[in-house]
Amino acid sequence: MWLTSKIKQVLLVLKPGKVTLNYPAESRPVPEGFRGQPAWDHTKCIGCGGCANHCPARTILTRDICPEIRILFYDGARCTYCGRCADVCPEKAIVMSPDFELATGDRNDITQSLELFMLTCQRCGRCYDLEIKNAIDKLDLRGYRYDSLEARTVIRRSTDRFAPDVLGATEAFRRPDRIGG
Amino acid sequence: MRALIYVSPLINAAVFLLLAPLFEGVLRKLAAKIQSRQGPPLIQPYRDLLKLLGKQNLNSAGTWPFKLAPLGAFAAVLVVVVLIPFGGRLGVFAGRLDVIVVVYLLTLGGVAVLMGALASRNTFALIGASREMVTMIMVEPVLAVTLILGAVKLRSLGLAAAMPGAAGAKFTLSTGLMLAVYLLALQAFVARQPFDIAEAEVELLEGPFIEYSGPNYALFKYAMMLKQMFYAWLFVSVFLPWIRTGIYPADIVLQLAAMLVVFLLIGLVGSTNPRLRIDQAVRYYAVLIVLSLAAVALAVKGW
Amino acid sequence: MTQDTLIQTLRARFGPALAASQGGAARRLVLDVDRTALRAVALALRDAGGRYMVGVGSDERDRRGAFSMIHLFAFDKEGFTADLRASAPADNPEFDSIAPEIPSAGWTEREYMDLLGFMFKGNPKPKRLILADDWPAGIHPLRKDVPYNLVPPSAEDVAYELDEAPPGTTTVPIGPFHPTLHEPAHFAVYVDGETIKGCDYRGFMTHRGIEKLCQTQVSYNEVPFVAERICGICGSVHATAYAQSVEEAAGIKIARRAEFIRTIMLEIERLHSHLLWLGVAGHLIGYDTIFMQSWRVREPIMWLSERLTGNRKTYGMVVIGGVRRDITPALKDDILNVLRKVEDEVGGLKDAVLKDTSIHRRTKGVGLIPREEAVAWSLIGPVARARGVDIDVRRDHPYAAYDEVAFDVPVADSGDVWGTLVVRLLEVFESIKIVRQALDKMPPDGPLLTEVADVLPAFRHGLSMVEAPRGESVHYVVTGAENRPERWRVRAPTYTNLQGVPRMLLDNQLADFPIIVGSIDPCFSCTDRVLVVDGRARSHRVLARSEIEALGRGRRRP
Repeated sequence: MWLTSKIKQVLLVLKPGKVTLNYPAESRPVPEGFRGQPAWDHTKCIGCGGCANHCPARTILTRDICPEIRILFYDGARCTYCGRCADVCPEKAIVMSPDFELATGDRNDITQSLELFMLTCQRCGRCYDLEIKNAIDKLDLRGYRYDSLEARTVIRRSTDRFAPDVLGATEAFRRPDRIGG
Repeated sequence: MRALIYVSPLINAAVFLLLAPLFEGVLRKLAAKIQSRQGPPLIQPYRDLLKLLGKQNLNSAGTWPFKLAPLGAFAAVLVVVVLIPFGGRLGVFAGRLDVIVVVYLLTLGGVAVLMGALASRNTFALIGASREMVTMIMVEPVLAVTLILGAVKLRSLGLAAAMPGAAGAKFTLSTGLMLAVYLLALQAFVARQPFDIAEAEVELLEGPFIEYSGPNYALFKYAMMLKQMFYAWLFVSVFLPWIRTGIYPADIVLQLAAMLVVFLLIGLVGSTNPRLRIDQAVRYYAVLIVLSLAAVALAVKGW
Repeated sequence: MTQDTLIQTLRARFGPALAASQGGAARRLVLDVDRTALRAVALALRDAGGRYMVGVGSDERDRRGAFSMIHLFAFDKEGFTADLRASAPADNPEFDSIAPEIPSAGWTEREYMDLLGFMFKGNPKPKRLILADDWPAGIHPLRKDVPYNLVPPSAEDVAYELDEAPPGTTTVPIGPFHPTLHEPAHFAVYVDGETIKGCDYRGFMTHRGIEKLCQTQVSYNEVPFVAERICGICGSVHATAYAQSVEEAAGIKIARRAEFIRTIMLEIERLHSHLLWLGVAGHLIGYDTIFMQSWRVREPIMWLSERLTGNRKTYGMVVIGGVRRDITPALKDDILNVLRKVEDEVGGLKDAVLKDTSIHRRTKGVGLIPREEAVAWSLIGPVARARGVDIDVRRDHPYAAYDEVAFDVPVADSGDVWGTLVVRLLEVFESIKIVRQALDKMPPDGPLLTEVADVLPAFRHGLSMVEAPRGESVHYVVTGAENRPERWRVRAPTYTNLQGVPRMLLDNQLADFPIIVGSIDPCFSCTDRVLVVDGRARSHRVLARSEIEALGRGRRRP
């Protein structure tokens, strides 16, 4: 009946009272296991690039600027906070921090960049045997990598020996605008 | 004081203009409380109006009716406010005018809205205008009968007699019936759920006001706020005239307090009802018209 | 009829033109037919009780020099599906249209006309569906030779040509921007006064090219995270359906505990989605209090999801082989507590809403269509169940752990928007029941993730249907080389239900437009995954911007 429904509705409403949270003066604590921005621990990172290979948003870039130095660059602009990087990291160097209040006017505020000194293996140059058992999660691109930090884009190409010409080509990278272009 | 009859229209205008946004704020705060949330502060409508005044007056239709419609609506309601015997005091115009003028001016305000909507040349405005037209046609009779009821009893159409007169002529059966009908039509008068059909946001964006922005829109909003304050006052004045002390300032405060209660009722009903469709609303209004005519018949009979 | 009876009947009728085989699972029947027999067999399947789901078109020219078209039918009573496959040569990708008799195939065919350049002889409305109006003709994005990130130059003043308005009506343009719609879409509603006489839909404005992207760039285990973002409300459904179809294609059997966890996440998602819908429906009929209150009741579910998965939405739980996180005993108690509170509050809401005659007035008799038409348009989900069509993928084609939990499928026969309201409210209680049973019956320990020992075999087909809150979501996967799917077709339930909307709108009032469209719980982001471009086949007339503005201002078309 109309009137009894209305009365029930008003009673339904009076019980909880005001539920507005006075944010940002008051804020709710973040639960454990919350997936905020990933945070790299540079002391543990071995520079394998596994996180870059498995980031669905292609927002982690790896670039070898010379045989000894690898730059691992996290550009938070496209990060979806899925946590796959933390999952696949063999050294558990990535932790999903509780940070989520990341709004900023400058995209460089949400980037993390690691410059890693890479040791060359005496036998083969570069290799990582990470013992990931899951065949579909294996390390995808080994060797020297040339992602474009300028265009913030992943270039799926790697070489066995460090190739300065490929590095140079990366700098001139542009997106195609026609078939075959 | 004799001079009071010259001053009281100005007091009317001042009180209404100052307090109309506050009453609107009360409605919004009440809606928020019913929705378990904090809601905007009571003075938010003032800020909204000020903000709109600072925006650009986009004249998308570019015609004179489009530009003048907001002024027309605002002016019509303001003149009504100036004429009414607020606080039980008749102003200098009251002796020369009658209730027909009030009905006329309110209709004029509505027509100004329609004019603006039709001049907008926007499909949504057209649909909103047609709904507004239908609502006006069906709901004006209730307003007219409310005002004329007292006139029927006292055999005078003058403003002086018709308004406080309805109960001054004793609270009879017809007055009681009309009180119920007025309350049932109140939501339609103030264009709130379940009768905010003309400007249904999810269906028509803003309906008649869709092409308006800036100061023009502020004028329309202000006119709507004044109108809803007027209807609340009309209820208090016609059906609760025993709220009076004879002292002018006290009467003003008492009437405002009673209007606040009416507003709380409007807010409560508005927040607990969905919007009706125009065809459903028309059937409802038709019933109200029949009841109003019955009230007039009773009044003529002396009941 | 059973699979065997069906095969016999079809063989008797079509003989050598048809070859039947078993798909990756016992419940999948694969029928390979000649192109010429495609239409006849499709109609035979429909007459045998099959419900058309979606079609999958692929470019297989590099592998076998042909294009492939697969029409998927579901036999709900018997619990199996039929894949009807045909090929067309690379230089002439033409098929017969089945849309005149099976209206739900209309969009599928238009989609492949745009994306793969197929031609469907006899399609009643060969207009652009997906690609933008200024997309150049001749470039079909799903073909293998087109790069995924092609950006062709745009053109000015090219517009979609709307259907002819019925005589005596004006066009009310609803969208792309309109408060009723959550995402951009355009409904050109033809009204006579306040009565709706027709409707044309132009959507796919937020098409993102997800299928193409995941077929060329993204790897197997990254796709669930892309799939999850197809929809902001039913993300878990898409991730689960994708994972299940790959698991079926590659023959991966996942741990039972993982299946239970997937089930629990799906039902929690259904809870939050239905409460969200209740709020939106309230808002659409102008009743904002219901909106605020039902979202207040929904909020603890979002907080629960945050504790369970790390995020309020986009749970990120599903990967191929299982799930990523466990439900510990503490979390189990947490879930049970929240469910208890939600059940109480929704019980209160239900009493308040179901008996409210003012809500009845806005929803009863609105969007009324008879059961036969709901079946003819292949409608699914609560929209169909409100019209007396008793289908639910969880019960008819069980997946994850649904075979072990007992639940009812609420069906109403009022045939209108009120029916959808009742069905969704009752489903909330059923979901709570399912989660409680799942938490109880879940095996106490076991691996969460089954690791894949070898690279997945290529070119295997997998099909998975999952009951999203809006209806059935269908994912079809063909595994590929290079650690990614070769073909992935996603069909969200709104894709099918939107095709039935013009029929639901007919002869209703304009004021009911929002609630009718709202009653299918539209998820345009789920629907738009591909571009649509179209122009009328016969006359190429381009509407200039001024003409479109004139349409918007209510002047009749010249």
